[in-house]
Amino acid sequence: MKPVWLIAGNFVREQRWPIVILLGWVALLSAAAGFSDLRRSPDDVFMMFQQVAVYILVFSLFFGASAIRNELRTRRILAVLSKGISRRQYIAGLLLGIVTAVVVYCLALGAAGSWVLPQAGVPAARFWFLLLGLLTASLLTACLALFFSIFLHPLLATGATMVSVGVPLLLAAVWKSPWAAVIPVYAILQGFLDLSGHDVALRGWMVLLAWGETGVLWLASAWLFSWKDVAVAVE
Amino acid sequence: MAAVLEFEEVSKHYGGWLSRRPPVRALDNFSLQVEAGEIFGFLGPNGAGKTTAIHLALGFMRANSGRGRMLGRPFGEARTRRRVGFLAENVALYHRPALHLVQFYGALNGMGGTRLRQRARDVLELVNLGSDAERNVAAFSRGMLQRIGLAQALVNDPELLILDEPTSALDPIARVVIRELLLRLKREGKTVFLSSHLLSEVELVCDRVGVMHQGRLARLGKTADLLHSREQTQVVARGIAAGAFPGAVASDGVVSFIIATASQRQVLEQIWKLGGEVVSVNPLKRSLEQIFLEVTQARGEGA
Ligand SMILES: Nc1ncnc2c1ncn2[C@@H]1O[C@H](COP(=O)(O)OP(=O)(O)OP(=O)(O)O)[C@@H](O)[C@H]1O
Ligand SMILES: [Mg+2]
Repeated sequence: MKPVWLIAGNFVREQRWPIVILLGWVALLSAAAGFSDLRRSPDDVFMMFQQVAVYILVFSLFFGASAIRNELRTRRILAVLSKGISRRQYIAGLLLGIVTAVVVYCLALGAAGSWVLPQAGVPAARFWFLLLGLLTASLLTACLALFFSIFLHPLLATGATMVSVGVPLLLAAVWKSPWAAVIPVYAILQGFLDLSGHDVALRGWMVLLAWGETGVLWLASAWLFSWKDVAVAVE
Repeated sequence: MAAVLEFEEVSKHYGGWLSRRPPVRALDNFSLQVEAGEIFGFLGPNGAGKTTAIHLALGFMRANSGRGRMLGRPFGEARTRRRVGFLAENVALYHRPALHLVQFYGALNGMGGTRLRQRARDVLELVNLGSDAERNVAAFSRGMLQRIGLAQALVNDPELLILDEPTSALDPIARVVIRELLLRLKREGKTVFLSSHLLSEVELVCDRVGVMHQGRLARLGKTADLLHSREQTQVVARGIAAGAFPGAVASDGVVSFIIATASQRQVLEQIWKLGGEVVSVNPLKRSLEQIFLEVTQARGEGA
């Protein structure tokens, strides 16, 4: 487990500027939502929280799609993988690094939310559960992007991830079926997007399913990555 | 003695289908055994396949066919790499203070605590970077980078040290330091696998050398055996005319020339008959450069 933490810490350290800048953005929006006047425009406030949630998801996508590529491009991956660390641990480390950043974002959002949302009738407990959902959806997204980035250019990996997340959504919209839960990123996020409504509940089983899928994707990524020539130069 | 690093009919090609580039056969049924406790020199012209062989051993990629073992285990196992040190040919490390960096790589190998801290300081001393321990690696010169690269390879006190052109950027003094370091590791029973283009250096430290050419091992042997030709002998004599033997050159009052070892007795008798005096008779010492040229030319013509 120790190498995994080291890789995660290293990822956060190497990506500290994007992480901090995005954190500034998240914190700013969260604060703006937190200090806005609820009674006058509750919908605007909900909108701000939803916006931040979507940003966090997009950041995860971005980090997931570029993590491996960065290390290959700089060739720094060689010294790391020449140590006693397996490909599986390496992938887990990158994911843990991304999760760490997302947890920090969720905490920033959560701090603002639990301050202001109870006044609008959203219980703090429900809000934190939604945040757990957001974290889960972000992790699954990052994991998908990481998986695709092993064999695709980061831009294509981003596209492939968006398709994977979007197709179940499309199916659900067309057939009104539970298809959206196949890759439950949107299904989970819906709880967030419907902050004011209370009628769309975030279901625990979706969160569990997403964690399960993340686990499977992690193993699949590690297996795929173990076939990758890491010494081959990428542009 | 047991083989510490073993390649058995390993082939590796790059490119091919799905790739825009034409396929390249980097290793072609390559076999080699590196014994425990030796310093092995791995030579060959650019593109011969040295780096490819090393990367296969470390599990950075997989061979297309054949198999290999490192410290008795198949290539690519993380546990085995804990006992190995590696310095890449274009070393790329994270930008942070030298001491932290070395500790990071040590920790990846499962080290920790005061032992790691002490060891990190020690290896920085070993490569003469003790006074730069707090400086950020981003500001290091190329030679310093290579030395910190060596430090991170040594941090886990490896049984097998794999170095891909470790001294290409070093100044002469640093080279001497590294040479002594390698000899010391050997005395401690460690094995060193050294890929290098600096032939004089290889001559000085390596017990055995292998010369790669076009993905195959073209020469293999004890350094001394390779350098000393059995077929040719160098004769140095005094008191004879330079013209007495074909190709002889006179300097400092002695005449030296090269003969076929088979005709040695005959030649010596001839010198005595001419009233000359034999100063020395030695197997011809060739330089690694010559062997290198022989290998590449012979193969080049054959292909
Ligand atoms: N990533 C790659 N993609 C395609 N071909 C490659 C790749 N890496 C190496 N090659 C080819 O494989 C062959 C062997 O390369 P390798 O790097 O192993 O040589 P080398 O002996 O280390 O050379 P040098 O002395 O220049 O370091 C060369 O023909 C090279 O062009
Ligand atoms: Mg090379």
